[in-house]
Amino acid sequence: MLGLIRRRLFTALPTLAAVVILSFVLMRLAPGGPFDGERPLDPKTREALMSAYGLDRPLPEQIGLYLRRLAHGDFGPSLVYRDFTVTDLIARGLPVSLTLGALALIVALLVGLALGMAAAVRPRGRLDRSLMLGATLLTALPGFVMGPLLALGFGLWAGWLPVSGWGDGDALHMVLPVVALALPAAGAIAKLARAGLAQVLAQDHIRMARARGQGWWRILIVHALRPALVPVASYLGPAAAGMLTGAVVIETVFALPGLGRYFVQGALNRDYPLVLGVVTLYAALIILFNLLADLAYGWLDPRVRG
Amino acid sequence: MRTAFAILAAIVLLALLGPFALDWRYDAIDWNAVRAGPFTPGHAMGTDSVGRDLLARTLVGTRVTLGVAAAAALVSLVVGVAWGAIAGWCGGKIDEAMMRVVDALYALPFMFVVILLMVVFGRSILLVFLGIGAVEWLTMARVVRGQMLALRERPFVTAAEAAGVPPAGIVLRHMLPNLAGVAIAYLLLTVPQVVMIESFLSFLGLGVQEPMTSLGILLKDGVDDMDIAPHALLLPAAMLVALLLCLTRAGETLRDRFGA
Repeated sequence: MLGLIRRRLFTALPTLAAVVILSFVLMRLAPGGPFDGERPLDPKTREALMSAYGLDRPLPEQIGLYLRRLAHGDFGPSLVYRDFTVTDLIARGLPVSLTLGALALIVALLVGLALGMAAAVRPRGRLDRSLMLGATLLTALPGFVMGPLLALGFGLWAGWLPVSGWGDGDALHMVLPVVALALPAAGAIAKLARAGLAQVLAQDHIRMARARGQGWWRILIVHALRPALVPVASYLGPAAAGMLTGAVVIETVFALPGLGRYFVQGALNRDYPLVLGVVTLYAALIILFNLLADLAYGWLDPRVRG
Repeated sequence: MRTAFAILAAIVLLALLGPFALDWRYDAIDWNAVRAGPFTPGHAMGTDSVGRDLLARTLVGTRVTLGVAAAAALVSLVVGVAWGAIAGWCGGKIDEAMMRVVDALYALPFMFVVILLMVVFGRSILLVFLGIGAVEWLTMARVVRGQMLALRERPFVTAAEAAGVPPAGIVLRHMLPNLAGVAIAYLLLTVPQVVMIESFLSFLGLGVQEPMTSLGILLKDGVDDMDIAPHALLLPAAMLVALLLCLTRAGETLRDRFGA
């Protein structure tokens, strides 16, 4: 287990550095810069600004400087939100995004597993078919369609839930964004859980348990669920990454003050340090989630522990 | 599967030919019918906030989205098959290095790389699909490599080698035609992925630009107006969902049939 972690970290750091360097170079290739406004700046002012932010140095030196600062946890100043550093902005947005993502992942797991188990009880039965059709439908409804539809139905028409904003992070404001983010992943998890269960339920130890007269639900939960979760676990890494990506659009739909909105704003404003900072953070998070998913994998299926 | 293909064909035909049958172009403004409701004479599905015909916009938007998706999927097909075929044929160290690259790219936050590309190189449609195609080839490369490894061991490849056919000839003439079925199945599965990415980007204002339209832009406009004109949201949403559902089902069925 420790070996696995060490091996993963060994490949993770170069990958992360490559992401940072690649993004850095890409951003600098862009035509147009952060100081291109409606009016052209006075050349002297422009020069002063460029040198103040270190944008006049050679590219490799800028990258070196950035990586060194990054290692100290300093993402640099934001070029557009002048009074904030990127670290400040991330510190504001990340808690919202992480709360949203974590809750959505939990909801997706619960809903997905419940649907998958219900479908697996009677394979090819009517319930199975309709649930799996529903799961396919859920995966085909991306968050930016699901979100507005939910907001329209439960927010505007029924008037039960607020359609935008975070409030003070109270439960009511969270319901729609979390559900909109969770449902596509829930559909995928339901399919995987159903497939995993179908395979496990055909095995001898399940027949043995049935022969001993155990109830179906007990068999499902006690004997079949853990091995059947293996494909679900291997999906969790990509799912967490999908949550991060989906959160960008969900935060835009529901006007939430999360990291994704800063990222979109930064991309539209060419706020280099902000975009770089968020991409770096996202890459690090995704690598971390993949590692965690691998560990969960090892816990569920002892055969792959090495 | 039949139904999925039939609905797909209907949508494609509608998107290609439908706009010609309508009185209004997708970017023409009808000053006499701004924010018209559905079933207004001349505008079967009403108009948007500046008086453009919604049905025309939805059909043209579907056309743009499908066009971008098809082009990007083709880019991913070419890159993925080339990458996978070379890795699978060469084997050994080269194979390992090439697949390491694929693994590393898999771990990247794709959407952010695409957004970065859009920011950097401006927002032309061409770049949208080149960018998307450039990051969507990974699965194709993996699948093609796996197929190549299996095909290499087959007697007809050995026979071709013994007959002195040059490696490029073996790969092009003897092996690639044998994995065409699997490649097409995965091509079909790439299209909904690309449709989703394109709509996602356009929704955020980072993809296709006005007055050109796409399903993502229509959804965004629909969201802005959903309190007064819900049909402006429901129409493109229904179109997108129908497309994604049919493409996914058709692709999955084909994939299962080719057993990959």
